[in-house]
Amino acid sequence: MTPLGPNETLDRHALVMACWLAAALPAAFLFDYGFGQGGAPYLLSGFAIILAGFVAHVIVNAVYGTGFSPRELGLGLIIYGFGLVLFVALSLVGAPLAAHNFMPLSVGFITTGAVVIFYLIIRYGARQAFEGFDAIRDFRSGDRDPARSTGGSE
Amino acid sequence: MTSLLVSILVIVAVFGLYLATISGRHTQQASDFVDGGQSLPPWVIIFAGAGITLASLSLSDHLVLLSTFGLQYNQVAVGIICVALVAALTQKRLWLASRLTSLRTLGDLLGDYFGSTTLRIFMLVLLFLFTIPFAAMALSQAGELVDASTAGDIPSGLAIWAIAFALFVCSVIGGWRGTAYFVAAQSLLVLALLLFFGGFTGFTVGKLAFTAGGIATTGGVLPDMIPGVIQFTAGIGKELPIGGIWTTFAGLTFALSLGGIAISPGFSFLGMTSKPHRGFAFGQVWMIAGVAAGALILVGPILAGEIAAGGSLTAFTARLASLDQMVAVGFIVLLVAASQIAVAFFAGSGASICTVELTSRYIVPGMDQRTTRFAARVTLALVYGAVAIAASYAPLGATIFSSLTLSLSVQLLPAVLGLCWVRWISRSGVLTGLIVGGLFVVFTESFGLALFERLFIDLPWGRWPLSVHSAGWGLIPNFAACLLVSLFTRSGAERDRRDRLHDAFEKSQPARNGNPAATTAKWSLTLLWAFFALGPGAILGNKFFSEPIFAGTVVAPGVPSLLIWQVLFWFVGVFIVWWLAYQGRLSVIDQLPRHQINLVPDVNPLFEPTTTPWIARLLDRVTGR
Repeated sequence: MTPLGPNETLDRHALVMACWLAAALPAAFLFDYGFGQGGAPYLLSGFAIILAGFVAHVIVNAVYGTGFSPRELGLGLIIYGFGLVLFVALSLVGAPLAAHNFMPLSVGFITTGAVVIFYLIIRYGARQAFEGFDAIRDFRSGDRDPARSTGGSE
Repeated sequence: MTSLLVSILVIVAVFGLYLATISGRHTQQASDFVDGGQSLPPWVIIFAGAGITLASLSLSDHLVLLSTFGLQYNQVAVGIICVALVAALTQKRLWLASRLTSLRTLGDLLGDYFGSTTLRIFMLVLLFLFTIPFAAMALSQAGELVDASTAGDIPSGLAIWAIAFALFVCSVIGGWRGTAYFVAAQSLLVLALLLFFGGFTGFTVGKLAFTAGGIATTGGVLPDMIPGVIQFTAGIGKELPIGGIWTTFAGLTFALSLGGIAISPGFSFLGMTSKPHRGFAFGQVWMIAGVAAGALILVGPILAGEIAAGGSLTAFTARLASLDQMVAVGFIVLLVAASQIAVAFFAGSGASICTVELTSRYIVPGMDQRTTRFAARVTLALVYGAVAIAASYAPLGATIFSSLTLSLSVQLLPAVLGLCWVRWISRSGVLTGLIVGGLFVVFTESFGLALFERLFIDLPWGRWPLSVHSAGWGLIPNFAACLLVSLFTRSGAERDRRDRLHDAFEKSQPARNGNPAATTAKWSLTLLWAFFALGPGAILGNKFFSEPIFAGTVVAPGVPSLLIWQVLFWFVGVFIVWWLAYQGRLSVIDQLPRHQINLVPDVNPLFEPTTTPWIARLLDRVTGR
């Protein structure tokens, strides 16, 4: 993988941002309408658009010959984790949400996670993908071996 | 709704500011500010091209006109393929010419190639028409939309100045690269939202009511049919055309005016400042002809059907708001974002071109890099100030002036074709054609008619007489005069410099059209497509699929016959553009040009820049601090 120059890094970053802006707004509209009158089909459509954004990000990586940067990985994991925790908490606290939206949201979160894992396995192979998240081994070895990072260089 | 709309618009503005800041930080040389180091990435060309095309049509106007005139106006969406065709014919060659000669703008290229100061002046006039009235019209529409959707909570004046300030800050920080990033990102957003609202409206709001009921036109306009090939009326303002103004000739000539987008100074500048990749072909074929035209052809009628049912754009937004506030806000954001693309692109490119063609060349020649950046920023401030003032205080004037813009822009077609392909088109031919064509445009548009009738007497014709758009009125005499005069002056004194560029083209990128049969087939098919998709043949679409001639019966295809016709010729149009752009190598850059040429070797005092030392000293004082 050839490292990108400063301008190319900037071009890639701007394109990634543009893709996520174009995906995030329609997804937000679908989630909002899905939680209101729309229901399950719209919530699932919202997840589908998020996945489309992810696919667009993967295509950008392929075009520029890069992987996900550590910041992108971190941000993605935080947003996904935050959404999941919020969903679980709201399902436990709010009965109406659990009654109406539990299934589509569960399917959405599981599918999103499955797609990401599928991508990692396709991209890096099962062993390397697992090692990328093998924090216990990292702690044992004292410092993280950059060769096992899933985030490709830019 | 107001707070939600403001929040989303602020998010988009912050996004633009972020892109501008990171690109501003990466600017290595001060002159990169003006042209992005001539290395804009292909994705910018790909997305921005489609977005600028949609924005130039004015999305909100398009939807309102579609709801008023029905599918006869949808021919305009099919006409977007003309933008791709003209871009395929010219964009790669202009890029090559720019790299071969080190000239950075279309005005400089045409001026040096034909050795004409008049052409430079014409290009500057055209640039100002795009940069100020056209951008002001778009900004004014955005302000009106925000005003109407917030029920006056945010008055249009405030919205106009806030949007103009936000875009100005993005441009002044990020320079041309930042502006191009923002425009491309907004274009992607607009395309995504357009497809989203097509689906959402079709499945949720109207349950695809349009396919059964068509677009409910009123006022004697034919529902979902083209009213004829041509109508012998005196034009808008003099006689009311029967069944609607959008005859096949109106559609065809309007599509020709859309070709003016592809050879506008800003669009050409965008192409010339890009890196050499396959972005041109992909952008023209798949994004402009494919996605942009397709989205409008398919989504436009769905939205227009609901707008027509509600009676207005505001009523449709209110209907969306009754379902979900955020979705209604999203629809407004779609329309405002389309207007923002037009403002940011035409103001940003206008300021950059003005710095290159006017400030650096005539006002303060020999500026150093730092001064160039300062001059570009001053120009940006002046342009955005003028745009905001025109949008706030003279929206009608801006609309009247901007009606000339595309029609005058497409009058450059003979000149650009001469530069790119036909070496015997001469300066005299181009100038004669421009003058004749320009006069015809002016006197078939509101500006010329109002001016003449106020000063002298009433003319017997109105706007677009015989239901032919002003671009068509201009192009016919323009081409005729240009070809006729060029025939007699093709071997004039300036032939050498024209040959120099075309010889360089042949050396670096010879035209590879294949065998003569293939070439004939390509262009014959293109003309046939134009005849059936936009020209007189399109009238067949009215009943072709609902009352097939050979079946001898009436069938119910489920959607209006004209829409099927339009979709069919959209597919064929995309294929033709693909054939020309990829297979005909019109838009694929095989190898970089290796040598440079100088178009103006002989020094002519008439064309030398005038030095104005007092302005240079003044600028030096300000920038030296």
